[in-house]
Amino acid sequence: MVQINLPENSKVQKGQYYKDTTGSKNIRKVNIYRWDPSTGQNPRVDTYEVDMDNCPSKVLDVLNKIKNEIDPSLAYRRSCAHGVCGSCAMNMDGKNGLACTKPHSEIKGDINIYPLPHLKVKKDLIGDLSGFFKQYESIEPWLKTNTKVETTEIIQSKKDREKLDGAYECIMCACCSTSCPSYWWNGDKYLGPAVLLQAYRWIVDSRDDERKERLKKVADELKLYRCHTIMNCTNACPKGLNPAKAIAELKKMLATS
Amino acid sequence: MENNNPLSPHIQIYRWHISSLVSISHRITGVINIIAITIICVWVASLLLGETSYEFTKVFLQSIFGKFIILGLTWSFSFQILSEIRHLIMDLGYGFELKTTKITGLAVIIGSFILTILIYLLGK
Repeated sequence: MVQINLPENSKVQKGQYYKDTTGSKNIRKVNIYRWDPSTGQNPRVDTYEVDMDNCPSKVLDVLNKIKNEIDPSLAYRRSCAHGVCGSCAMNMDGKNGLACTKPHSEIKGDINIYPLPHLKVKKDLIGDLSGFFKQYESIEPWLKTNTKVETTEIIQSKKDREKLDGAYECIMCACCSTSCPSYWWNGDKYLGPAVLLQAYRWIVDSRDDERKERLKKVADELKLYRCHTIMNCTNACPKGLNPAKAIAELKKMLATS
Repeated sequence: MENNNPLSPHIQIYRWHISSLVSISHRITGVINIIAITIICVWVASLLLGETSYEFTKVFLQSIFGKFIILGLTWSFSFQILSEIRHLIMDLGYGFELKTTKITGLAVIIGSFILTILIYLLGK
């Protein structure tokens, strides 16, 4: 259901203010969403003054600097720091993206950092993505083939391989799905852009023999047709992919099959 | 066990862009248009009740407030038509590149005002 307002226990309160202690002249204010599961209090936004003279270029560097030098209690996911693993997906300056590939110089004014939208928060910037991965599992993202021979490779033409471009690069960071208003209101049933892009990836794979069954499974009022081409997904994708187009292709396949 | 963890902020913090604005406006104008069509039907039906009830709507529509409503509805119909065309093209699988969506979205917004003015001048 559409619920515009946040529930009572999720209302964000004003938090602490960490003044700069380095005496730097190049200071930026960084506002970060905080929630500690052990206190039972509402979430809050803490403000940190960060010395930008000694800070590398990406938003993740700002977070690391805060964690290392100002407040070690800050929790966030990160791993590769090169836009490959998709761990540090979060909402920066009102837009989802990877903290490790987003330069803070692109953000004007204060840097606002929130967890990915409309998720149950586990701690600070960490959202619960278990529902998201359950949906991913539901589309059975593996090759299904009827060929009995398992010892030889299944040949694919260059043209067929090209169909997977723009779909196989997805790192499942959930930036797109959690940017989608339809996914916010119907996330329990609507599969969301990331999972639909993967559904598409297996449907167009020439080596897969279950195209029809896969299409039939995804053809559902709520699973697929909740996409209203709002385009938040394509706008958010840190890898420059186009889930909205893949969803449109799925709809087209169903309309013409 | 029920999950009582807080829900992270969503629409409160997410930044708007042209496509999302056009999409939400498409919905809002759609609802307005349905109400408007109903009222127009009632208005037409009121003709059957005789001259006085017709006079009433006529006076209302010629007032400044009435004219504002008419112009507003003209815009909402113009917007709906142009945005619907954009959506139809997207349903055919075209125009999904970020730059294209920005251009077509802007065209819908600007076009809706131009169409409103054109219809106003035509009906004058």
